[in-house]
Formats: sequence, structure tokens, C-alpha cells
Amino acid sequence: MSVPKKPGGKALEVLQNLPRITLANLRPEPGSKQREKKRGRGQHGGNRSGRGHKGERQRGTRPRLGFEGGQTPFYLVIPKYGYNEGHSRRPQYQPLSLKRLQYLIDLGRVDPTQPIDLTQLVNARGVTVQPLKRDYGVQLVDEGADIFAAKINIEVQRASEGAIAAIERNGGGFSSSPSRSSCAGSLSQRECCQGRIWSHITQIAENRGYLADPEKIRQARLALAQKYGYILPDISKDELYHMLSMRKDVRQIFFGLAPGWVVNMPEKKILKPTDEKLLKYYSS
Amino acid sequence: MAASFTLRGALLSVSRLRCRTPGPPAGAAGLRFVCNAGPEERRAGIIESTEEYRFVERLIPPSRVPAPPRHAGVTPSGWSPPADSPPPLPYVIRRSRMHNIPVYTDLTNGSRKMTLIRKVEGDIWALEKDVKEFLKEVTGKELPTQVNEVTMTLKVKGHFDGELKQWLTSKGF
Repeated sequence: MSVPKKPGGKALEVLQNLPRITLANLRPEPGSKQREKKRGRGQHGGNRSGRGHKGERQRGTRPRLGFEGGQTPFYLVIPKYGYNEGHSRRPQYQPLSLKRLQYLIDLGRVDPTQPIDLTQLVNARGVTVQPLKRDYGVQLVDEGADIFAAKINIEVQRASEGAIAAIERNGGGFSSSPSRSSCAGSLSQRECCQGRIWSHITQIAENRGYLADPEKIRQARLALAQKYGYILPDISKDELYHMLSMRKDVRQIFFGLAPGWVVNMPEKKILKPTDEKLLKYYSS
Repeated sequence: MAASFTLRGALLSVSRLRCRTPGPPAGAAGLRFVCNAGPEERRAGIIESTEEYRFVERLIPPSRVPAPPRHAGVTPSGWSPPADSPPPLPYVIRRSRMHNIPVYTDLTNGSRKMTLIRKVEGDIWALEKDVKEFLKEVTGKELPTQVNEVTMTLKVKGHFDGELKQWLTSKGF
């Protein structure tokens, strides 16, 4: 074999100096391929061919899987219960831990100086939402609540109490609202807002729902600060207060954009209608 | 990403919907907002603006991984940026395209644990020597390693991704 000139290049040197590799030159490493056992041939594969001695085993007439000789089998003794009934119709929320959110902010994929929304998280490839798999949005999980240190204005669909506490402890703003794009397919928006499915989330101050009473939200913030033992920072004195308190309108899907506007992407312009019939239609 | 949100598709479909201007003929049934004004009056009833276009730009997903902002030291999430100048060693371990250390764990056949170091450049045998010494201090055992010079990767038996990542960041890679 050729002698390598520099360390670390042995394999490439060998490849370059030896003749061309073809199927005729290749051979598996000795000991890597083991011969398979052929049944019905030779001293070890023959005789009963690995089937055992007489009975149902050798004759291949064993009963079905789960049969217990006539005793009521296990899978019939246990009564049915609807644990998984309707599982494919249950709403699912993709979890997002605070640790991952902090990682995304540190790497500059999510901008903490702008309100963080489901669209921002998906653009940053922080979460992957699959609406066809009954994903109704994102939920915040409080893994990493102790290392979380970012002041953000975030809007997700669900969050655990510890996650809300961690965000508010760092002086951020939190609100929860259903993702309007996901429920547009199944129900109309108005049914969504007033429906019983989300009323327990959107109107409750503990979840900082977008339909909840602002006074109750303020009290809930104080209660949460007392429960988790931190002083609630006053965000009205913050320089980013305007950004932190930006909330979407009830029917708005994207921040800063309203329905009925036409976007001219090549010329980077937005055309807004002024006819009052159109405006009435788009705000209905 | 095929099944995830396609915002651009939604935006374009919304704008295409609205773009279908309600024009005469009057036999266009089903249009709630047919306006019988002439085309000049319709065009005058539109305001153009460019200030809100930044909200549209925010919705477009970026196609490249953004460069991380400058940090002085370890970030709260545990990520630390690479050193400004590469350390004076005979090998270099590049960061992945998401700016992380390329050390990965592998589990095959249900119980075969391996740690893989990818994206090695330079003298891979020196790296193998250093890794063996470091893991000898950590575990006290001589661990089998495998060097692949063609793909420039190093495999170590056992799960040591946490220790190796910390060791490589302390070196400055």
C-alpha cells in the first residue's frame, strides 16, 4: 500500500493512488457478513427444521394471538372505556417551552422588540403548527421559567400559570386568544368568539384572554405576583410600553393590517378602500 | 413544512379575492357590493399608503438563517457564541448552520449509544487524541472511538454530548 505523506489523509491518499474501484475490486470486511441458516438442509438446519417436537408448534396449527385455551382472554376481560373516544377531534396546542423561546430570542430568530405572535414564531421556525392535525395554536409550557430573562409582548393560545408568571416577572405583556386562521375553516368568526368552546379561555382574566375585563386582568396580575413571590414591575413606566401593550383587535388576524386592504407587493404599497359600503362589509 | 402555515399563500389568496373588482355587467348576480359608479370614481375612492407595508414584510418568512446578535459571554438559554479568532489548535470544529456545536447522540439497535462529532476540519487524529484524554479524565475509562476521514467525523461509544459540547465551547469553537 502507498505510504501517507501527511497525518489525517491516509484514506484519501490510498483512494487516490490505488487503481479504480470497481465491483471486481470490492469485498466485504472478513467477519462482517454471516451466512444465513438454511432450514431443511444439513445436520443443523435439517431434521425438524427448528419447529420443535410434534404438537401444534411443529404442525403449525397454533390458535390466534391472545387465545388463552378457552379462559376469557385478557383483552376481553377488561371492559371498554372511552379514553380515546373522539381523540381525532380534540383541539391540540403545540407546546413551546420558555427555554426554547429564550433560545430563539438569543439567536436572533425572534425579535423581542416587536409583538410576538403565532406568525412570528412560525416564521422563525420555532414551532411547526399543523392545522390539518387539529392544531389550534401554541401553548406555553413553563419548562425553563427559572432561566427566562426577556421582556416580550407575546400572544399565544394557551399558557400554564408558571409561564405567564415568568413573562410578567420580567416586565413583559401576555395575552391569549384563539388563532383566528385555524377556526376560520370550521366555524365562522362570530360563532368562534361567542362559542362555548373558547369562552372559558378567552373571557377569563387568569388566562389574560382577549375578551376579559381589563380591571380583572390587572387584579389577576397582582394575584399571580403574590402567588409566585415576585414584585410586579410597572410596565407603564417602561420605554417599550406602547409595544408591550399592543393588542390585536377582536377580529384582526395580523398586527397592523385590516381586512379589505389590497397589498401591491412589487411596488410595496397598500391600497385601502374608502367606500362606506365596503368598509361596513369588511368590519361586519 | 408542507402542512404548516403558508402565510404568503393566505395573503395572496386574500388579496386575489379582494382584487376581483365588482364591474358591470349588471347581470353579475351574487355580488353583494356591486357598485354602479364609473371606473374613475371607483379609483378615486382608494387610498394608497406605504407606511403599513412593514407589517406585510414582517409576515414574509425569511429564507436564510439570521446571524445571531452580539453577546458578551453565555446567554440565558445556555448558548454561547464562538470565539472571534479560532483557537491555535491543529483542528477546527465549525458551527452548524443554526450556529450550534455539531455534537449529536445516536441510539441504534435499542441500546447502542454513540456520540458523533461532525464538521471537523484539519488534523482529526489530534482531535481524537484530545477527546480520548478528556473522556479518560471525565469517566476514567478508555472509550473506543472511530475516525472517518472521508466524512471528517468522530464517533465515541456512549452518550457524552453535554460534556463534549461544554469542552468544545470552553476551547472557543
